[in-house]
Amino acid sequence: MPTSACITEPLIRDHVTRAIKEVFSTMLSQHVQLVDPAKPTGDPAWPPVDGKPTQHEAYVVGTVGFIGEINGLMYLYLPEKFARFVTSHMLGMTESEVVAEGDEVVNDAIGELTNMTVGVFKNALFDSGLSCRLTIPSILRGSNFTIEPISSADRFIFYFDCAGHRLVTDILMKFGE
Amino acid sequence: MRYRILTVDDSKTVRLIVRKSLKSFDCDILEASNGVEGLAIASKETPDVVLLDVTMPVMDGVEMLTKLKADPQLKAIPVVMLTAEGGRENVLKIAKIGVRDYIVKPFKEELLIEKLGRIIDLKPLTAGPTKARSILDPCDILVVEDKPVIIQQIQEGLNHTQWKIQGLSALGEATDFCQRQVPDMILISLSLPEDGAFKLFRLLRTNLKTKYTPIFALVVKTDAVAQQQAQQIGFSAIITKPIEISDLEAKMAKAMNLDTSPRYFSIDKEFFTMRLPENCSPIVINEVSNHLKTKLAEAVNAGLSRAIIDVQEVKSLNMTIIKLLFQTMQTCRDLAMQFSLVGNTQIITECRGFEDTRNWTFFESMAEARAYLSAKNPVSHGDGEGRPVSAAVSA
Repeated sequence: MPTSACITEPLIRDHVTRAIKEVFSTMLSQHVQLVDPAKPTGDPAWPPVDGKPTQHEAYVVGTVGFIGEINGLMYLYLPEKFARFVTSHMLGMTESEVVAEGDEVVNDAIGELTNMTVGVFKNALFDSGLSCRLTIPSILRGSNFTIEPISSADRFIFYFDCAGHRLVTDILMKFGE
Repeated sequence: MRYRILTVDDSKTVRLIVRKSLKSFDCDILEASNGVEGLAIASKETPDVVLLDVTMPVMDGVEMLTKLKADPQLKAIPVVMLTAEGGRENVLKIAKIGVRDYIVKPFKEELLIEKLGRIIDLKPLTAGPTKARSILDPCDILVVEDKPVIIQQIQEGLNHTQWKIQGLSALGEATDFCQRQVPDMILISLSLPEDGAFKLFRLLRTNLKTKYTPIFALVVKTDAVAQQQAQQIGFSAIITKPIEISDLEAKMAKAMNLDTSPRYFSIDKEFFTMRLPENCSPIVINEVSNHLKTKLAEAVNAGLSRAIIDVQEVKSLNMTIIKLLFQTMQTCRDLAMQFSLVGNTQIITECRGFEDTRNWTFFESMAEARAYLSAKNPVSHGDGEGRPVSAAVSA
């Protein structure tokens, strides 16, 4: 069985990048680019990794976990405006129709987008010998919060640009006992 | 037959995407948000296919699939997994329970349609029983031809119709076009380079959206090999170059199942009119003849008793036209309709040259014919020997 030593940061980055690109290109016909977080974007760094929440614009965060020989969670951070953009493209609606439908339709679309992304990521781990299955998605909304891992979990944060918006993936992983 | 597809997924987004993907096909979509609901709907409605997610609350897809396959009433329903749960072992494990196909999310609309199309005969809505379209209605026609002059000839030749004719010169452009918009009819030149016509034909026939679209081949008359190949592959018809536009138009109308009768027959408050066009090809004569009795009967049912047979546009008579005119007059007599003929100088002269038609009397304008029929007292419609006796058509 593979061990945590096999799951390197570059491998995680490759799997996540492939997952994000595949989902955005298939479901939204959008190109996504992995970017260096140090690159100035005008946006403050998010998510806050130092435990100090910062006042930001509202975010929609999708979460899906994977459980098995490797356990973990992936958070997908989308600014609310980008979440509406994604929803409208996924469902073939205008953004004003999305606004009229309310938060529920955005939550469901971002939940599914996260589910698909984590699905591709998890399937890559599965095919390299780490059997695991997905959990049901959940959504977190807000503008002033922080998510902190327990000390035994590994954390990987990657930044992507898509259609002028910043998308962040935050992965927490722990090998099974 | 209208197929029913059950989508079982806890994501409303996925259910909406499935519904949107299939909205242009002749099928009903049923929805459930978990395995329990899915089983209940499957028992009640017996869908033709189930699209099933794996990770769901209450009852997941694997449990639902297992229960479905254990139920003698439901086990024959084909199941397509539509899930983010991929991974070779996972797929094999679920496949063993008994699924027809497996789609791993994210998925393209085209892939979903293609996979469903392998299980049920998904037909575009337009191929189903819809309101009959007429020759006067707008239609979208795609012409794929590498010679612009041919496209121009078709566009100009058919510009009297309401048809919108889009000309493209390359295979890639044509496939992209058909992804965006499904034409009512496609014409492909067999002269496209590198067997492009046959490649395009196969692509269009494997795409469910264009599977039933009529496709004509355009080919030079002398290229017998290409014509034979086009027939074998299944082109709806073969049109030889140089193109005879009226023949092409008639064949296209037939292939699109258009009602051509409005072109020849009209009814207003007082009169039924049958109008023959300038080019009375055998196809035209056949169309008119086929519609004749029905249209005259409709006129009688609408309360009309006067008919005008207008051959002003016809340039010259021949036996098929004469036979059609005899048939028309006889049908008018059978239905007790008064009628008169309207013709041009050439036709009137030619009629005098035939024994059977020499006694026909023509008006030279519609207005005269109308005035005559309006003034005439409708009493007698024939002399018993197959010849009309009205003042318009004298015995």
